Amino acid sequence: MAPHGGEPGALFQALLDGQSALQPIFPDLPKPAAAATVPFDETRWFTKLQLAGVDRVSQLAVAAADLAVRDAGLAMSDADPERVGVYAGCGMGGAAALEAAYRGNGRVSPLTIPAFMPNAPAAHVAMRHGVQGPVLTYSVACASSSVAIAEAAKAIQRGEIDVAIAGGSEALIVPGVVLAWQAMQTLATFQPGEAAGAVRPFASDRSGFALGEGAAFLVLESAERARSRGARSYATLAGWGLSSDATHLTKPDAPGQARALRAALRQAKLQPRDVGYCNAHGTATRIGDVVERNALADVWGDDLETLRVSSTKALHGHLLGAAGAIEALITVLALHRRQLPPNANCDQIDPACSLNLVTQNDTGAPALEAAVSNSFAFGGTNSVLLFRRA
Amino acid sequence: MSSLKQLQDLIHEKYGIEPSKLDPNASMRETGGLDSLALAEFLFAIEDHFGITMPDDDANIDTLGDLALLVDKVRAAKTA
Repeated sequence: MAPHGGEPGALFQALLDGQSALQPIFPDLPKPAAAATVPFDETRWFTKLQLAGVDRVSQLAVAAADLAVRDAGLAMSDADPERVGVYAGCGMGGAAALEAAYRGNGRVSPLTIPAFMPNAPAAHVAMRHGVQGPVLTYSVACASSSVAIAEAAKAIQRGEIDVAIAGGSEALIVPGVVLAWQAMQTLATFQPGEAAGAVRPFASDRSGFALGEGAAFLVLESAERARSRGARSYATLAGWGLSSDATHLTKPDAPGQARALRAALRQAKLQPRDVGYCNAHGTATRIGDVVERNALADVWGDDLETLRVSSTKALHGHLLGAAGAIEALITVLALHRRQLPPNANCDQIDPACSLNLVTQNDTGAPALEAAVSNSFAFGGTNSVLLFRRA
Repeated sequence: MSSLKQLQDLIHEKYGIEPSKLDPNASMRETGGLDSLALAEFLFAIEDHFGITMPDDDANIDTLGDLALLVDKVRAAKTA
């Protein structure tokens, strides 16, 4: 459930076409704001009665997980429900429920807490599919759902579960939260009428990111299980790397990011030159893009030019707790289709961000075998997922 | 003054449950499918709708008919 809609193929095509989902929001706020919101009809997934106490963040999660389970052809009746897990990332929880409570002039819905709690999305997904194994929520800021996918893969690898529904959701496009992000000075500035192109990763004139909302889930299982049930496999999650900067709460750190990248490569038993594409964290902040470039340069060394890079946040915004999942999905589709989404809005690359960026007229990648998706969080946690072609 | 019709309209508007599908003498939990969370939210909506405060000690009311009687009582006390 992305700002470009609920169909992964359409999302990927929109990215290839360079279509931005960013648009102005909340014109009453003192400073202009832009965000990417999901065109979402909750009545496709919920009756009015089922919506009682279900925040948008959980609604999006249920919809995305349902689409993933269907696409995977996963019959829950064929699985032992105690050996199925939900691994969900969520940065904030039900922001709309909390905002309504603050703005209710003292009238607070009795369901504010169950609507707000950050593990509600995972719980709703579990109830929808009768999942009785581990149902866990990872709140690791911008790396939340990337970490969730890595943790799900570990549980499968250890034999604790057979199937994981792994991903994340975020829905915090409400005035109070947008104001808080504006105060943080990390959001892109833009002129009236130019919201769509406000986010310019790795460009000389970049000024930050825009908030996005959405949810994405992947179905993970062992290669053996996928083969035995004749499943369509999009990709193999061949490695993951988790590291902590342990230096600063919000300032990114190239050595910390490089440690996560190396850990993912080591686990996948690949060399940097084996990896042809990086879906960058690429938040388009002044400092973040340079640090990420330096981490990639450190690990790839003389092979840096062989690595094609793009940040798709220019087009779908920063989905925060759901960013790792939607970008993992995009990375998997890039491998599956051997096509790369472009790095939009970068007319002039910052010399300090020197990378082989994917351009819109050069998206083919016929020899692509492996790709990484980077997620680097406030708090200093770095998560890298490395996928190979199935 | 019976609040039943208004409660039926409210439950229809809020949860899409037709008045004919919920016997005023049947359990809202078992027949109407309203779990404890939905009921808590419904009581909140009733307060908003009628501008009243429902007593906390009657949370175990199970049928729409009983709920209507209670709402009648609270409304009467308010206007008295």
